[in-house]
Amino acid sequence: MAATKCLYLSHTGSYPRIGDSTELQVLRRTTAAVDRGQATQSDLRSAEDDMTRRAISDQARAGVDFITDGMIRWYDPISHFAGKLAGVEIRGLLRFFDTNFYFRQPALIARPTRGGPVLKHEYEFAREALTHLPSPHSESRTKVKQVLTGPYTLAKSSLSQDGATHDLAERAGAYAEALAQEIGDLAAAGAEFIQIDEPAILKYPADWAILEQALVPLLRARDQVVKSGESLKLALYVYFRDCAPLYTRLVNLPFDAIGLDFTYNWALVERISQEGSPRPLGLGLIDGRNTKLEDPATVAAQIEKMLAKIPGGVAYLGPSCGLEYLPRDRALAKLGLLKQSRAALMGMPVAASGGAQ
Amino acid sequence: MSRVKLEALGVKLPLFPTTSVGSFPKPDYLTKARAEFSHGKINQSELTDLERKATQFWISKQEELGIDVLVDGEMYRGDMVAYFAERMPGFTTGGLVRSYGNRYYHKPIITGAIEWPGPLTMEWWKYAQSLTKKPVKGMLTGAYTIMDWSFNEYYPDRRATAMALAAAIRKEVEALIAAGCRIVQIDEPALSVRPEELPIAIEAMRKTTEGLNAYFITHACYGAFEEIYPGMLEMPVDNFDLEMSNSELDMLGLFRQSPFTKDISFGVVDVHSHVIEDPSAAQNCLRDAQDVIARQSIWVDPDCGLKTRTVEEAIDKLRVCVEAAAAMRG
Repeated sequence: MAATKCLYLSHTGSYPRIGDSTELQVLRRTTAAVDRGQATQSDLRSAEDDMTRRAISDQARAGVDFITDGMIRWYDPISHFAGKLAGVEIRGLLRFFDTNFYFRQPALIARPTRGGPVLKHEYEFAREALTHLPSPHSESRTKVKQVLTGPYTLAKSSLSQDGATHDLAERAGAYAEALAQEIGDLAAAGAEFIQIDEPAILKYPADWAILEQALVPLLRARDQVVKSGESLKLALYVYFRDCAPLYTRLVNLPFDAIGLDFTYNWALVERISQEGSPRPLGLGLIDGRNTKLEDPATVAAQIEKMLAKIPGGVAYLGPSCGLEYLPRDRALAKLGLLKQSRAALMGMPVAASGGAQ
Repeated sequence: MSRVKLEALGVKLPLFPTTSVGSFPKPDYLTKARAEFSHGKINQSELTDLERKATQFWISKQEELGIDVLVDGEMYRGDMVAYFAERMPGFTTGGLVRSYGNRYYHKPIITGAIEWPGPLTMEWWKYAQSLTKKPVKGMLTGAYTIMDWSFNEYYPDRRATAMALAAAIRKEVEALIAAGCRIVQIDEPALSVRPEELPIAIEAMRKTTEGLNAYFITHACYGAFEEIYPGMLEMPVDNFDLEMSNSELDMLGLFRQSPFTKDISFGVVDVHSHVIEDPSAAQNCLRDAQDVIARQSIWVDPDCGLKTRTVEEAIDKLRVCVEAAAAMRG
């Protein structure tokens, strides 16, 4: 049996905002009604609140320690934050990495500037919603993790129509400044765990120096919060491509955890079991892109191989990416697999698959 | 070269021939009928009657507008992958997943060996072609895209999945050709998703089309073409139908660096915008295009399927294509 008290279950980001039943289609119906002028923005907020509460409830009931709000209100991972900054216009659709999901591309017509908190309300809503769940979920160690798309990925996904931000490093620096301010505001609102997503670096590893430089203001913002006596962990997550080529560089970045997608290269498990990691890892061993359900015993064996080589055995088991790419029933089943895999690792009987009930 | 092929097939087209990418919006009565059918309130025959009525509407509307190569408008399809997956053994219908914004689709799950169950689109093509003397394109989704847009719980890897699908789609192409179809469009919007897999997409298209006598078009959109160009020109098709309006003509820069060697269906209107483009702006796109691509190789169409627009918007956007093409012909 492995020591598992520091193996946390952690969701990686998005969650389906729709299901097959009528009640799970409230957001789709309301959005369409708003488009037709038959519902108000207030109706839309209410539908988003409803689906956010459901996403939170699913995660908490599945025993996830670090939940997200499911990113239900996000049009996509790029335009949601970027589109709320001054100097940014949202344009046409582009494919989001190798998914069959599309994002709207930000165009920078001036240096992007943050006018005030962007995601604070979303974080506060999620934390409040968590407290209203029936016990024991509301009283457990469950915490809300806020997700932010990182400055490099935002910059790489943006068009520049402004001389000052033609340079990728300049664009990333501008976004980094806005994100650092956001981190400060989220921490002030009580956020203790923030995940920075930088999937683009796996696709464009030659931009490593730009990424590293862009992350400095975010790390500095965390350090300021910690220095003031508050608790804040900042994790960096990468996915949608093989992490192995950048593994050594990634785990040497001074984040509190590095989240990795194993589904593009399972040999990474073996490599970590030999090389180890100097810092806690996010273990994306549950495939967030395919419906096939993993065998908990196999996942447990993979974790066991790596856990001894991670300082303090601190790791965050989660899906390889957000779960919005799966139908709701399978997303729920994948969440259930997290707990089943940890149970298998502890040598406990594994509950039947089919998700958290 | 491809005009020679078309003429050998008996298809004579003007310069800047106009066409559409595939889907058109469903009239309200059909949207309502599809919902009623899914709730068991009407039967298949009643639904089919309305689908035929809507197909007739779009064929006559395209003729009225002066479109040169017609499509059936896909009144009988929901999603471009799900339509095939729902009818092919080997697939299970999955739950809803989001595509973008407020758009969702049932993403199929491959749970067994994929087979061709018999003609999937041929009867609809025959019906649409019976309504017009102009050529109607056969409209299929390519093996690579069906693979990429499905969950796979059965095949060992992505290549094996794509090849199994290619074998099945080829049979559908054969059925269309046997029915008299001379222009077959096989959509591969996932083409640029994983640049390293371009050889798989090319191999799958070859398996689908090799040795078959038709003019082949493939449509791709919303991708990072800079990562697969010029390698994508190895796709064994005659015509690439590309989204050029939404991408603000970025691709012409690529074509300047390395010549585009096929016919092109050049998207000149954005299908995700309610705004109806000015025909002169579309004409300017085509002027830019002919600086880089031979005039006789350029077809004109919207960026992508128009099903997300209203009926009126779709008609207006098609009219922009026709007017721009007419102006280019002089």
